[in-house]
This record gives sequence, C-alpha cells and structure tokens, in this order.
Amino acid sequence: MKENKEQILVNRLLKKEEAAWKELFEAYSGSLTYVCSRYIIDREDVHDVLQNSFIQMFRSIGSFEYRGSGSLKAWITRIVVNESLKHIKQNVDFKVVSEDFEIPDEENEDPNFEEISQDIIMMMIRSLPEGYRMVFNLYVFEEKSHKEIAETLGIAENSSASQFHRAKSMLAQKIKEYTMSKAAQYE
Amino acid sequence: MSNEWLNDLRRKMEDHTENVPDGLWKDIRNDLFEEDEVKNSVLGLMNDDLKAQEKVIKKSNQKSLFYRIGGAAAAIAMFFILGRLIDFSGKKEPLKEPKYVGKSKKESAQTIVYSQKLSIGKENTAVKNSFKERNDVNIINKDKGQKENQVFTENIFEKLLNKTKNPETDLWTNKIPESKKQDLADKLLNQNNQNLAQEQKNAVEAQNNNAEEETHKLLTKQEREWKEKFEEAKKEKLAGNKSKRTWMLGVLTGNASSNATDQFPGYATLNGTTLSLPEVWSVGYEENPLMAILIANQDKKVDATIKHKTPITFGASVYYNVGKKWGIGTGINYTKLSAGLTSGSNDYFISSEQNIHYVGIPVQVNYNMIHKGAFTGYVTGGGVVEKAVSGDIKTKYIVDGVVKEETTEDISEKPVQVSVNTAVGLQLKVIRHIGIYAEPGIGYHFNDNSSLNTIYKEKPLNFNLKFGIRVLLD
Repeated sequence: MKENKEQILVNRLLKKEEAAWKELFEAYSGSLTYVCSRYIIDREDVHDVLQNSFIQMFRSIGSFEYRGSGSLKAWITRIVVNESLKHIKQNVDFKVVSEDFEIPDEENEDPNFEEISQDIIMMMIRSLPEGYRMVFNLYVFEEKSHKEIAETLGIAENSSASQFHRAKSMLAQKIKEYTMSKAAQYE
Repeated sequence: MSNEWLNDLRRKMEDHTENVPDGLWKDIRNDLFEEDEVKNSVLGLMNDDLKAQEKVIKKSNQKSLFYRIGGAAAAIAMFFILGRLIDFSGKKEPLKEPKYVGKSKKESAQTIVYSQKLSIGKENTAVKNSFKERNDVNIINKDKGQKENQVFTENIFEKLLNKTKNPETDLWTNKIPESKKQDLADKLLNQNNQNLAQEQKNAVEAQNNNAEEETHKLLTKQEREWKEKFEEAKKEKLAGNKSKRTWMLGVLTGNASSNATDQFPGYATLNGTTLSLPEVWSVGYEENPLMAILIANQDKKVDATIKHKTPITFGASVYYNVGKKWGIGTGINYTKLSAGLTSGSNDYFISSEQNIHYVGIPVQVNYNMIHKGAFTGYVTGGGVVEKAVSGDIKTKYIVDGVVKEETTEDISEKPVQVSVNTAVGLQLKVIRHIGIYAEPGIGYHFNDNSSLNTIYKEKPLNFNLKFGIRVLLD
C-alpha cells in the first residue's frame, strides 16, 4: 500500500526532521491560528499557545496514529484546542459570564450568513464573552457534547447547555444585525 | 431556531485561516531544533541548568574520589608520584568546563519554558511567579539548613522547579495557583488526547525525579573537599644541618598554582542564598535592581561566571630539628581567598566579590634527603587547620551598564578548613641564618561542610608552589 503524502510527512515528523516540521507548520499554521483565535483573543497569547502547541506536537508525535486522510490535521487541531483551553483556564476566570445579556425571544428563523465573509463571522465569534465562546466553540467546532464540555471545563452540564444557548442567540443576533445594517447601506 | 445553521456555520468556516503570528516559526524552531545551543532565554536555561548541574555533580563526585585517592597516595608516596599526580590533575581539570554547555533540552522543560513564556507576556504574573517561588525556596532553605552549595546557577525560576515541595504541580503551575483545578482539567482534556497527557505526566515525573536527585547530589557535593591553597608551614632544614636541635623562623608566601573559572547558564550567588526579591511588590519592581535585571534579561542568554582567584598566603613558622634528618615545624599563616561572580548578560548583571580571610596553624614534618653545600633538598608533609576569621560579599547590581545598587554583607559562617599537603623543597642558605626555599607540592582540602563556595571546594586537590625565606634561630 502506498503511503500518501500525509503519512510520509508523519514519518518524517517522527524522525524530528526540522524540514518536516517546517512543512507541517507551513501547511497548517494558518488554520491552527484560526482555531486558536476562536478561543484566544490576545494576539500575543495566540502566539504563545501555538508555540506551546507545536512543542506539544513535537513531543507527542510518537503517540499519533494515522487513521486516514485528515487525521493529522484533526490531531494537531485537538492539541491546539487543548492548549488554548489550558491557557484560558490559567489566565481567565471564564466562568464569570455577564448575565446582563438579554436573550432575545426564541427566534424562528435561522440566521442567514451565506453572504457574510469568514472574517466577519470570525470577528463575531471572537466578540462573544469568554465563557460563551468556549462552550460555543467546543460545541460547534469541536463537536463536543454538553457532557464532554462540562467535564472539560469543570462546569455543570446544564450550565454548558445554557451558555451555549445564550452564545448561539447572541451570535444569531449579531448576524442579523449585521445583515440588516448591510442591507441598510445598500438601500 | 434550530441548530442546523450551526452545522452550516462549521462547514463554512472549515477552511478558514488566520494570519499566523509574526515570528512564530522562528520561536518554535528555536525551541525544537536549537537544543544544542546555549539557550538564549532565561527560561530556556532551566533545564540546561539542571542537566548541567547533574553532570557537573557526577563528575565532581568522581573527581572527588580521585582526589581522595590522590591525596592519600601523595601523602604516603611523596614526591615519587608527584609528577604523576600533577599530570593527572592537569588532565582532569580541562575536562570540566565543556560540560556546562549545550545540554540537550528535555521536553518537559520546554513545557516549563512555555508556560513561563506565557506568563512573561504578563509581567504581573511573572512577578507573582518569582514571588511565590521565593517563598518556596525560603521554606526549602530552611528545611535543608541552607545546605545547598550554590556553585551552580540558580535561575530563580529554575529554583522553583527544583525545590518546590509539591512536585506534582510545579511544572504546570508555575503561574497557576489552582493546580488542582488544573490537574483535573488536564485529565479531562486528556480524554481527548490520552497519549499526549500520558507523556506529559511522565515528563513531569521524570523532571521531578531529576530535581530530587539533584538536590541529593548537591548535598553530597558539599561533602567534597575544599581545595587547597594555603600553605603550610614550612620547615626545612638548614643547609648546615646540625645535629643539634635548631629553631627556625620561616616566612613564606604561598602560591597555589591555579585559579579556577566556572561558567554556568543562569544566575547564581556566591553564598548559597537565593536571589531575593523585595517583599513589597506594589512599589514597582522596576525600582528593584534585581527585578530590573531579571526582566531585562528574560530574553537573553544569561551566564554566571565564578572566578576563583589564586589564594594568597603569608605566614611565619618555626622549625625544630629532631635528629639529623628529621624536623617538625609549626607556625601561623594567613590566607585570603577571593572569588568573583558575574551573573547576567552584558549590560544587566549582578557582580559579586567574595573575600574570605583565614588564619591557620600548620604542622609539618620534614625529612632532609640531600644536603650539599648551601643546598638542602627535603620532602615535607603535614596538615593545616585554618579558621575563617572574616569574610564579606560585595554585590553590585548593574542595570543597563550602570551600578544601580551596591550591597555588602558579612559572611557569618566561619568554617574551619582542614587540609593536608606534601611537597618537595629545595633550600638555599644565603647567609648564616637565612635561607630561601622553593617548595612545589600538592595539597588537599577537606570539605568544611559550609555553604561557602571557595576554590577549595571547587578544586580540593591542587598543585602549588611556595616560596619563602627562613630564618634560623639558633
């Protein structure tokens, strides 16, 4: 069976070849920066967390198991997520979430973000309060269940659910507001 | 509102990328692939220090053994083997230096480096670290009865790692007091990535073990001896050795042959204490020179260089002939030991100078081998008991090339230093009651069990050359 590119890269990573690691970095750092930036707002912190993450990868590459195309990316992404959460827990009291946000009445339609650029959406996600953002990211992007999130963050399961709910509403509202303001501009 | 749109959202964002922070690869590369180089950041030094210490210590232990054997053999075999011993010590010394540098970095240390780095971003946190660390260190110092010999570096951060009592947490919690929460969280996270966690844990443990071992070794290191230097009394025999008993007064000056320089990465102190930070942080650490140095150097390569100057000895002795060939001598002598320590980078560093003054009483036995005309050749062996009578350490904090603060502290510890020595001597009787002599020899200084860092500890066995004038008292 012929190894694909990803596997070849993994083998070279295992040998701790500098060129291979550079390749990995170049191929994925943009995406990883995005992952990390979902959690961490401060640019310096993102830098540090990513740096940490690469160290972590370098150290644990031996434990990586190739399970098909994309598994390398999934693995390194997971490391970045873990490092990000670790960083947040060390630096932020993430459980303090301002409760003054009014949950809009359950809206009926799903927000439409077809026309909104990734960058704008990213900004919106990043503007969510810390605690909401963590739960939201874990649930939506890392596809964790509330149970897992609760365990990971050390919070109650129902508070994960409620934070997620608030985050979702908040984001939906932002999207709608944005769409409306755009529309207003064009009129 | 369903959750469907969130799936769309995820898909939409799937391929999104963000600009990679500047210099990230460079930093990563430095961390991962430049392990053979001396680290450039204070934090990066930690593990190097650990390893370096370990090596040094091992080495020293071996050396110590050699020295003991060498010392004993020398005392017995005298100058027959002198030449060989000299060779031997000559070969050994050079081995020592290279070991300090370029330890390959352990991964666990990288983690530390990292979390430290994170914290550096926030000076407050860093300050907290140092502060906490200092507390820890104090406790430990107390526990250990300040045994540690600070020959090696004490990067302030490293110290935390080395000595903290609850090893479980230190790697991760340099900056996080809530270590428990952290551990728990780690564990949970690790469900996602168990292998990874496993490795981390192992690394943490390995690191802790290292730290413990090191502490242990440090203690044994203390047991090592001092080094030599002073000089012994001299005795000698007069050129015209009379069979009649003779008193002699000798004046001598001693010159230990070598001085020693050691260099380590990190910070160090001469007297075994930890670099300490002021109690009150709120005043602003920029005003504390030590903190200013630490902060200024956080990204730089930091070295501690200890340079032991050649001991200087003066003495006077009396000599008493017992029979034709034998004589014993005693007297009093004074020795000054100086050592200089520089820790830090070029413009931000701490410079200390340690001076210790000893007064000692030598007891020597001489055996006259040859007597020809005005020349007498003899072998001598003996011991010296010396007591430190005073000592001080002057410390200067240099911030940006300017002396910011200067402190002098007295060394309260006044250890007694015991040494043995042997030498061959040649004396020329110049005029009737006065002879000049030269004595090449070796000396061995036993450990004084003090925390003082002297050349005697650094090189217990050394080769020396003494010159003097003897006055014969009829």
